[in-house]
Amino acid sequence: MRTKSISFGLSAALLAASLASPASAQDNQVYGVLLKTLSNPFWGAMEQGIEDGTKEAGVEYFLQAVESDQAAEPQLNTCNTMLQRKPAVMITAAINSTILLPCLKQANEMGIPVVDLDANLDHEIAEKAGVKIAFTIGSDNTAAGGQGADFMAEKLKGKKGSILVIEGLAGNITGQKRAKGFADQLAKVAPDLKVVASLPGDWDRQKAANITNDTMTANPDLVGIFCANDTMALGAVESVYAAGKGGEIVVIGVDGNTDAVKSIKAGRLTASVAQLPYLVGKQAVEKAKEVLAGKTVDKFTYVQTLVLTKELMDAGTDPALQYVK
Amino acid sequence: MAADNSAAAPAPQPGLRDNRFAVRLESLLVLVILIVALSILSPYFLSVSNFLNILLATSVIGVLGFGATFVIAAAGIDLSLGSVLALSGVVGALSVNALGLPWPVAIVTCLAVGAFCGLINGVLNAKAGIPAFIVTLGMLGVARGLGLVFTNGQPVYGMPDPIVFLGQGRPFGVPMPVFIFIAVAIVAHFVLAFTRFGKYAQVIGDNEGAARAMGIQVDRHRIALYVVSGLLAGLAGLLFLARVNSGDPTAGLNYELTAITAAILGGTNLFGGRASVLGTLIGALVMGVLQNGLNLLAVSSFYQQMAIGAVLVLAVWLDQINRARGQR
Repeated sequence: MRTKSISFGLSAALLAASLASPASAQDNQVYGVLLKTLSNPFWGAMEQGIEDGTKEAGVEYFLQAVESDQAAEPQLNTCNTMLQRKPAVMITAAINSTILLPCLKQANEMGIPVVDLDANLDHEIAEKAGVKIAFTIGSDNTAAGGQGADFMAEKLKGKKGSILVIEGLAGNITGQKRAKGFADQLAKVAPDLKVVASLPGDWDRQKAANITNDTMTANPDLVGIFCANDTMALGAVESVYAAGKGGEIVVIGVDGNTDAVKSIKAGRLTASVAQLPYLVGKQAVEKAKEVLAGKTVDKFTYVQTLVLTKELMDAGTDPALQYVK
Repeated sequence: MAADNSAAAPAPQPGLRDNRFAVRLESLLVLVILIVALSILSPYFLSVSNFLNILLATSVIGVLGFGATFVIAAAGIDLSLGSVLALSGVVGALSVNALGLPWPVAIVTCLAVGAFCGLINGVLNAKAGIPAFIVTLGMLGVARGLGLVFTNGQPVYGMPDPIVFLGQGRPFGVPMPVFIFIAVAIVAHFVLAFTRFGKYAQVIGDNEGAARAMGIQVDRHRIALYVVSGLLAGLAGLLFLARVNSGDPTAGLNYELTAITAAILGGTNLFGGRASVLGTLIGALVMGVLQNGLNLLAVSSFYQQMAIGAVLVLAVWLDQINRARGQR
């Protein structure tokens, strides 16, 4: 009676096993890469950059991610598991500034340098926790917000009105930096444009759309919306069009993801402050190789961001455009 | 296995006795086969440090799963586990971090907040008669929101050393959360399988009318079960807090579903009457081992979720086949 169960169980295990690729042999020059999630074009482009970077550098890498960019504890568990393979370096994009610290501390103790990919860690807190970060590489989110403000001011030159800021997930440092960078710079360059609301959209398209609706109702003089990422900007722009204000209200996102690029080309979304995750991933690998070779590198490297507009893409002359995926 | 008809017996002691170590054999089998298969597939799997890793990774979910087991035993459900975990951790963290109270207060606060949330769940369910699904779904939102309000959405970083030791200390090379996890498993198993409290819970889950006829104070018992589940969620919150040295208001998102999965995978009947903490431990380990193994093999997280979903359905299906045969 039990034999059948055994065969069932066995097939379950084999099923699980067949999903896996055969494990590679132990090799000390394997780079460990831990991302947030792969269900987002941003991280897909980052992975592409890492892959090309490792190919050029002639090293192997293995990459892990968790099911969502809010799965903090699973990411810590995955990080611990990765250390079992004793990677040469740990390149990690932490879900929040503290979750990975116990694992990264252990990595340091094992002599594995730690790279802060996409600037998610706080160096001060990390140091207190006994974690030495080899270097941080990513986009300057404050500057990206500022670039958005400059563009907004330029686009709305001579106009007065209300501005809405849609922040990221409450407590997320990336979203905060972008929103703050935008608000601070806007106050400087366009005193006639007033931020009437700054609300968390939780990176969610639907939420951003609702916030936009509510704010348009409360502020008929709304002239601009800045969203801390493209997903939310795409939600906001749909609400704007649904309210019959398409083209009147300037909507800006951040990231430069594929959907946003399409929307901008179609003339719907006004602009996106594009990060270049491909370059971030590629340069992270290059610099990690330098660290392993014993060279000293800058503690912080910020890869440029680019304001993507229909005009810029139609012209197609900016060399950075090749990294926009 | 024998629990199905035992509730009809007026004196529960003898009838429920065989349920003491009731573990779904299929789950154990799946666990063993997974371990064997992964040992062959990955050179990194079979090592003491990796097994400690698995236990460490399973500790929070496991403790939460024990809480789920108690409630499900009596045909209840607790959807607020993950949110209560986060709220407990956050309040515990704030008590020492913002209020400057001594470190033992953090432990007491975590447990008390958890138990209190459980008490509210229990009273609203048993006394006000609101279905458990709805009450705890409400608590899921309220507790999560409160945690975010208290912290303004920010993790509360920096705990006193003794708390960090609870999460990151390694006496004899074994992570502290693993000790706590195992200890809680033993105590919880004892309570559910060997005490009147635990046995009555299963009688209520099996047949509430019969339980009332037996003179069991069903309402009070229900409330107590939710307090236990809240208490364990508070403990899980403490473990989480200690592990990551910060009270994170976004901690434990969707953990209630994983905890319930662990319980069902371990042989606990979702509709009450049959429950085993030992089974939940195995269920949680099945998921922990699977996840760890797939991580070691660098399988994408997309497949991992598929694999866990498939194993859950498979284990329950095998169980049903065997039961159908047993009845013939």
